[in-house]
Amino acid sequence: MFATLPEKFRAHGLKADVRTLLLFRKAMQKGLIKTLGDVHNCLKGIIVKEPEDIGPFTKAYYEYFLHVPIQPGQTLEDAILRSETFAKWKTQWIEENDRDLTDEELVNTFLDQVHLTSYDIKEVINGKEIWDKDNPDLEDDDPVDNESEAQERVLDKMADYSDLTLDELLERMEKVREQQRTQHGGGSHWIGTGGISPYGHGGAAKNGIRVGGQGGGKMARKVMGDQNYFPIDRDALLNDDNIDAALASVKGVIEESAIEKLDVPLTIKTGLKRGGLFIPELTSEKNEELKVIVLIDNGGYSMAPYIRSVQALFRKMKTRFAHDLEVFYFHNTIYDRVYTNERRSQWITMDKLLLHDKKYRVFFIGDAAMAPYELNRQSFESLRAISLKFKKSVWLNPEPLKYWPHTYTIQAIKEVIPMFPLTPAGIERAVVSMNSKNANH
Amino acid sequence: MAETSHWTGSEKYLCDPALAQAFHMARTLGMPLLIEGEPGTGKTDLPIHYANDRGLDLEVYPVGSKSNVEQFVARFDHVKYLRDSQIEILNAQREEKGLEARLSTGGRNPESLADYVVKGPAAVAYGKPNSVLLIDEIDKAPREFPNDLLYALSHRKFIMPESGEVIQISEEEMPAIVITSNREQELPTAFKGRCIYHYIDFPDQEVMGKIIEKHHPGLDAQVVRVALDVFYHLRRLGLERAPTTREILNWLKYMSEIAPEEAVKKIEGLQGIGALIKTQNDMERVNRMMGASNFPYGGLN
Repeated sequence: MFATLPEKFRAHGLKADVRTLLLFRKAMQKGLIKTLGDVHNCLKGIIVKEPEDIGPFTKAYYEYFLHVPIQPGQTLEDAILRSETFAKWKTQWIEENDRDLTDEELVNTFLDQVHLTSYDIKEVINGKEIWDKDNPDLEDDDPVDNESEAQERVLDKMADYSDLTLDELLERMEKVREQQRTQHGGGSHWIGTGGISPYGHGGAAKNGIRVGGQGGGKMARKVMGDQNYFPIDRDALLNDDNIDAALASVKGVIEESAIEKLDVPLTIKTGLKRGGLFIPELTSEKNEELKVIVLIDNGGYSMAPYIRSVQALFRKMKTRFAHDLEVFYFHNTIYDRVYTNERRSQWITMDKLLLHDKKYRVFFIGDAAMAPYELNRQSFESLRAISLKFKKSVWLNPEPLKYWPHTYTIQAIKEVIPMFPLTPAGIERAVVSMNSKNANH
Repeated sequence: MAETSHWTGSEKYLCDPALAQAFHMARTLGMPLLIEGEPGTGKTDLPIHYANDRGLDLEVYPVGSKSNVEQFVARFDHVKYLRDSQIEILNAQREEKGLEARLSTGGRNPESLADYVVKGPAAVAYGKPNSVLLIDEIDKAPREFPNDLLYALSHRKFIMPESGEVIQISEEEMPAIVITSNREQELPTAFKGRCIYHYIDFPDQEVMGKIIEKHHPGLDAQVVRVALDVFYHLRRLGLERAPTTREILNWLKYMSEIAPEEAVKKIEGLQGIGALIKTQNDMERVNRMMGASNFPYGGLN
C-alpha cells in the first residue's frame, strides 16, 4: 500500500522509506488514522524532522494525496483554486448544499474538510467545542440544535468504519487515492459528499458541525507563505538568511567529550591521609576545544558584501560557545603582518601570529583575487608558514566556484591552503576536511 | 504507551491541538515525542502539566554538557562500594584490638550489589508503569549522547550494572517520553527517525492572548491588546534575541499591578521594555526604530 509514497516524498527532499510506511501502518493499526486530516498529521509527525521540512512536506502531501500541485511561490489558495480536485469537489459541494459561496469561503470549507481530524470529530461528539467557545465570531447560529443532530450523524458514521479490518481499510484508501486521480471517478472519495474520509462516505464536516478553522488548513496556508518552513539553499553565498545554517556547520569544529576518570594522584593522596584506606577518587574530565583564528580580507570592494555576514557568523559562534576566537584582518593577501582592527591601523607581526597554539583552527576569508604580482614570495611564505603551523587551516572564498580555475591567484593559494566556497555547504565541507586526520597534508 | 487517552491541555496550560495530537500519537505508538521550537513556547511545560493533570509520576532528566547515559539510566557507585568493603576490614581490625567504635556503612551491605546501584531517571521511570519521562534540552548534550540514549530507549529494558537487576516494562505501560530541544545543535538523523517530531510554532497574537489569560486572568483587555501589539511589533523588527512568551508574561505581571489606564499609557510609551529586550544592540535598534529613546534601557519608572 502506498508503495509510491516514499519515492514521491523523497522527490521533495524529505526522508521517507519503508520504515515510514511501517510506522504509518502501525499508526493505522492503533486506530490513529480515520480521516485525511489524520493522515496528514500522522505522516507529518513521522516524516518531518525539522521546521524546514514542513514546507516541502505540505507540498508533497497536497500533491500525493490530493493531486494539488503547488508551484514555487504559489500560495496554497491559488494552487487549490487551479486544481482539478477542487473543481470536482466544488461541483459536488454546490450540488449538495445549494448555497452560493465566494471562492474564498469555498477554499476555507475545502481546507476544513481536508484537515478534519478524528480529534476534531471527537471534540464534537464530546459536545465540547472548546475552540468554538473561545472564538466568539463563530458562536452565532443556533448551536444547540445543530449539535445534537450532528452528534447522531457522526456516531452513525463512526460505527460505519469501525467494522472495517485494517486490510480492507488500506485497500480502500489506496483505491480511493487512485480514483481521485482519474478524471471521471465520481462518487465517494476522499473528497466527496459531506466531508473527506478514507472510508468513502461519511465524515463529519457536514453542515452544522463547525470543525477545523483552528488547525491544519490555517497552518498549511501559513507554511506556504513563509520561507522559514523551507530549506535554505545551502549553496547560496553566506548571507543573513542562511547564517544559522552556516553556524550549524561550523559547530562541527567543536570537539567535546565528558568522561569520568580515575584520579590516581588524588586517590593516593587522600588514601595516605586516611592511613592506607584507598578510596578511588573520580574526576569528570570535560574537554571542549575550540580555538579559532579568523583572518578576514577586508580590503577592496569585492569583499565588502560578505564581511558583515562573516563577522556575524563568527560573533554568533563566539556568543554561543564562548571560546577562544581571534579575528585579524588583511588586504588581499598576508605579508609580514596581520591587522587587529578593521581599519588596519594596528597589527601584529607574522611571528606573533605563529606563536599561537598549534591547536588553533584558522579560517581565511577572502576572494583570493588580486594582481599576480601582489602574491609575491614573501606572501607565499607567510601563507605556507601558517598552514604548516596550524594544520587545520582552510580558506573560504565567496567567489563563485566557476571562476576559480580562471583566476591565477586563487589557483596558487589553493595549492597552499585548502579552499572552499563561502556557503553553508562549503563551510560544512571545510569543517569536515579540517576534522579528518590528514587535514590538508 | 502509558496512558493513551487524548489530552488537550489543562487549566494552566494551553495545548495547541496539533501538539496535543502529536503527543497522543507518540504515546499510542510508544515512541518518544521530540519537541523543538523557540524558547518560551512551552516545550518543557507540556509533560509537567500533563503529569500533574493526570496524576502521573514525572521523572525529569535535565541534559547538560556533561550528560552521559550512565547518569540517565544507572551507574554503579564504585567509590561507596570500595569504601564499605574497606570498612568491613577496618571494623574487623578494630574488633581484634578490642576497640568498641565501629564505622557504619549506612545500611548498605557490600554483599548486596544492588545497594550500590544509583538509578537515574530512566531506570526509575521504567520501573513505574505509566509514568512520564522528560528529557529536557537534549541539544545541550555531548554529541554521542543522543545515540546512546536511543539505544537505551528502544529496548524497553535496562540491565543494572554489576547487580544484573533487570528493569523491564511492557509496551502497554511504557512511560510517555518527551524530549525537548532548542536546536542549538543538530541531532543525529537516526535519533530523530525514532521520535515523533513536533515543531512548536510561535503562537500568533490570538493564541498569545489566550496564554496570557491563563496566566494573568482578569487582566484588563485593553492592556493586553496594547501590550500584544507592541510585543508582536518588536518580534517583527528582527532583533538578535526576539522577545518570547516568558518575557511578555513578566512584563504584564508588572503592568497588572498598575491601574489599566496608567498601564496602557506606560506600554504605549514603551516603559519597562527592558523586560522584553535582552541585548544592548537590540535596545539601540528599538530606540532607533520605535523611538523609546526617552527611556534608555527600559528603566521601570
